[in-house]
Amino acid sequence: MAKTDSNLSFILNKPHDVTFEERPKPKIESPHDVLIAINYTGICGSDVHYWEAGRIGSFILKDPMVLGHESAGTIVEVGSAVKSVKVGDRIALEPGTPCRRCTPCLAGHYNLCPDMRFAASPPIDGTLAGYYTSAEDFCYKLPDHVSLQEGALIEPLAVAVHITKQAEIKPGQGVVVMGAGPVGLLCCAVAKAFGATTVVSVDIQPSRLEFAASYAATHTFTPERVPAEENAARLLKEVGLEGGADAVIDASGAEPSIQTSIYVVRRGGVYVQGGMGKPDITFPIMELCMKEVTAKGSFRYGSGDYKLAVELVAAGKVDVKKLISETVRFEEAEQAFKDVKAGKGIKMLIAGPNEK
Amino acid sequence: MVSVEKNPSLFLSGPGNAWVGESPYPSITEEHDVIIRIAYVGVCGSDISFWTKGGISAKVDASRPLIMGHEASGTIHEIGSAVSSLNVGDKVAIEPGVPCRRCLPCKAGQYNLCPKMVFAASPPFSHGTLAKYFKIAEDFCYKLPSFVSLEEGVLVEPLAVAMHVCRLADIRLGQDVIIFGSGTIGLLCAAVSKALGAQQIISVDVNASRLEFARKFAATGTFQPDNDSSETIAGKIKEAHNLDGGADAVLEATGVEVCISTGIHVLKKGGTFIQAGLGNPGIQFPITTLSEKEITMKGCFRYSAGDYELALHLLESKRVSVKELISSFVDFEHTTDAWERTRKGDGIKNLIRGPQN
Repeated sequence: MAKTDSNLSFILNKPHDVTFEERPKPKIESPHDVLIAINYTGICGSDVHYWEAGRIGSFILKDPMVLGHESAGTIVEVGSAVKSVKVGDRIALEPGTPCRRCTPCLAGHYNLCPDMRFAASPPIDGTLAGYYTSAEDFCYKLPDHVSLQEGALIEPLAVAVHITKQAEIKPGQGVVVMGAGPVGLLCCAVAKAFGATTVVSVDIQPSRLEFAASYAATHTFTPERVPAEENAARLLKEVGLEGGADAVIDASGAEPSIQTSIYVVRRGGVYVQGGMGKPDITFPIMELCMKEVTAKGSFRYGSGDYKLAVELVAAGKVDVKKLISETVRFEEAEQAFKDVKAGKGIKMLIAGPNEK
Repeated sequence: MVSVEKNPSLFLSGPGNAWVGESPYPSITEEHDVIIRIAYVGVCGSDISFWTKGGISAKVDASRPLIMGHEASGTIHEIGSAVSSLNVGDKVAIEPGVPCRRCLPCKAGQYNLCPKMVFAASPPFSHGTLAKYFKIAEDFCYKLPSFVSLEEGVLVEPLAVAMHVCRLADIRLGQDVIIFGSGTIGLLCAAVSKALGAQQIISVDVNASRLEFARKFAATGTFQPDNDSSETIAGKIKEAHNLDGGADAVLEATGVEVCISTGIHVLKKGGTFIQAGLGNPGIQFPITTLSEKEITMKGCFRYSAGDYELALHLLESKRVSVKELISSFVDFEHTTDAWERTRKGDGIKNLIRGPQN
């Protein structure tokens, strides 16, 4: 019989060394905070990367850390100043709390806060546990008709919302998205919701492209092992975007995709780097210059992104259910990580330790 | 540790009813807060509304006397345990409104629009800076450049207002700008426009001596209107200053109906109008002109992210000088004299010294 008040936690000690530990239940420390019972958590490429390599860039695992950051849960306790949620509310959790005082925070770019405390980015513990505390304003109430499992997809959807907003997509535009993993697929869906009429999904895996075509892409494209310029020319011809795409989003991080993107985007168009791969690559800078391309980085999500993500799901404009390949029990978390690493399915969810 | 420091403060309990009283020393309760020994407080048009009418929208109540003042400078007296950017003794300009930091407008970078903004001298409970000591969060306190005096530090607040106006207007190199009103805000809008590279900066006012000051301070030209219709005045401004198509931007710092109308008529097609001045809540407005000329009109309220920093940058780089606007000083006990002076239109910026003992 499953425990109902467990704070069993999935902990990364060092690469490939994970343990399950019953940790003390977290306590609310601020009147603006809430305590959440975690229902479902999705696995992201970044989680797998920490599990494999113990670091991403300058974030290095030094001490054991709870993994996971894409979660939905239920409010079980509220601080004395909490007004927007109550006990029993089902919420999608925005897992990063900024300092609220620095220049980027005050200017509305809290995703760029240098003191951001982000779940499962060392040294901050993640959400693969029974309970988690958060500030009230980083919890977004799910409408009754949106399930908690869909709630766990709000995080990657908010990433896609942020990327797509950076791409400045307007109705009637043509958009190309490199990479048909969860973020790429969701970017296609958000671009469509923003009014793009041509949405091209690009990937090297035929099964992913097949899914993209059934999901939100109007066209798909499989690049070959030829120079980026050639792939770009063929793509534009095949999908009927002769002048170039208004916006190109890279959700792969792969060098050939990034290079192809700059040849695919039209003069004066926008290119957004969402995917993370090699830190340094060969980049077609002359092409960017001569076509006056605007290239923007995109990092996590900021003001209004989570809210819009919930609204898109609530209104039926983006279907996140379709991306859920499997939900496994908490005890099977390690196997789930191995499966994601092996490329199994699109999005795997891990049920919280108290889920029946 | 309970401080036995006295904190003389200037209270208002209704129109015409102000006195020096005592308030508790504002002990630090939050680790990011600082306590400032107030050096100078400036008088603003809004203070006059409080002095004569008890307030603008929300009014002070005799049951809850309110400490007045919001344009202030001082020296850091005490710092909270998490304060890292300021030290005791630092000379600072104060941004007198702290937002909640948690709501949507706050997290989107428009904290001036926070519904829970705690702004100095706002009824019913938010006390102002006319006291010996004032407490505020560290990040709303700005260290003054070494050569900027505490007196000049008071002008950082209206300079930040002017910066906010000009940023909303997106004033750029080469643009022609018309500014209605040559009080403190109008004058500082002219100075900021100049620093941003505006070509023609025309100050409009009914008062000839104010216009003369504007011309010496930052305006490239001036205009003193007669009792004409707004279309006629607009036509005369354009003719006098060779503005055939009209101005790129109008910064409205009076709130007066005829100025607002004139501003719409003097703008070029596609121009930008910024409403900074506060006057009558409802006015006659040439709406079809706005439509046909595709004018962008924006409300403007106080200051937000980056305005204080940019204002200080202008002072530090000496591209704007504010000393010239300081007209008089009174001691703390004579605060109402300063208010009367301003009410009568004497001087540009009248200052009140903080309590000396």
